[in-house]
Amino acid sequence: MTSSAVDPVALEQTRQRVFMALFIALAVALHTFEALLPNPLPWFRIGLANIMALTALFIYGVQALWIVNMARILVGSLLLGNLFSPAFLLSFSGGLLATLLMGLSFRLFRPKIGPVGVSLCGAVGHIGGQMLIAWLLIVRHPSIWMMLPFFLLFALISGMLNGLVADYLLEALSGHPAFGRLRTMFAKQG
Amino acid sequence: MKVFGWRRRLTPFDRKLTAILAICVFISFLLPLRQGIGARVLVERDGKVIYTADLDHDQQVELQGPLGVTVLQIEDHAARVISSPCPQKICIGLGKAKHSGDLLACVPNRLVIRIEGDEEKERGYDLLSR
Repeated sequence: MTSSAVDPVALEQTRQRVFMALFIALAVALHTFEALLPNPLPWFRIGLANIMALTALFIYGVQALWIVNMARILVGSLLLGNLFSPAFLLSFSGGLLATLLMGLSFRLFRPKIGPVGVSLCGAVGHIGGQMLIAWLLIVRHPSIWMMLPFFLLFALISGMLNGLVADYLLEALSGHPAFGRLRTMFAKQG
Repeated sequence: MKVFGWRRRLTPFDRKLTAILAICVFISFLLPLRQGIGARVLVERDGKVIYTADLDHDQQVELQGPLGVTVLQIEDHAARVISSPCPQKICIGLGKAKHSGDLLACVPNRLVIRIEGDEEKERGYDLLSR
């Protein structure tokens, strides 16, 4: 079978599947890499893997965001060996709320919102989900809100960073022939 | 690709969102979430208080959790975890707690150690027994 004989729709679908697999693989790699980094403060995570989720969101839409994030959390936790542990529960609830907020903000504000904005929503969602589960399952005392200012500050910084990296990545990818749709998207913006 | 062009990468909407979040951070730091010097240390397991002590008396306490014994040291009006069976030793890394509202949590061993000030005594124990 030669490539010239392939139906363009089927080609695009296959291409999307291949890139989704790559995004998930990279997200899992980043997730694992981040767990290896020295972490002086507990509960503070940069969320590097979210870069891949953001990229998938801006290329393939909200469904792709969910697939990348859920697959990443499950496979990443399996790799790290903390699947279904309390730490996993925190990470999962954070990821769930982050993905929800990111998807919502993307749907509601898409022409106006950029990767940085979506990333910030995700960072805040991650904290919200974690705090909620920490509150419900572990601490049960108002003093955990004491940590909130630091978490919010960290969300602001890490959210900005991830969003900017995702934006660079999207710009770099838009030059590639496989992402023709992106180029038109960027052209409209710029 | 210019690294210094990063501001250009934010849409006006993104900028507004960033500003709102920055304001939230600022306000949250101003909130009176942190309080004065603590008077007592309380240890909770699964939401129940299992141990209380005054911060005035220097001592070491052994606390039983699902994983094993966590050793709490009270010294110089401050409490800290000096040994714990948990894998990551985050609770030890948290250092000393001495202000009212400070918290040392050992999640794997299900222990929450917190400091309470005198002002909470007057408020009663509604906060604790939730």
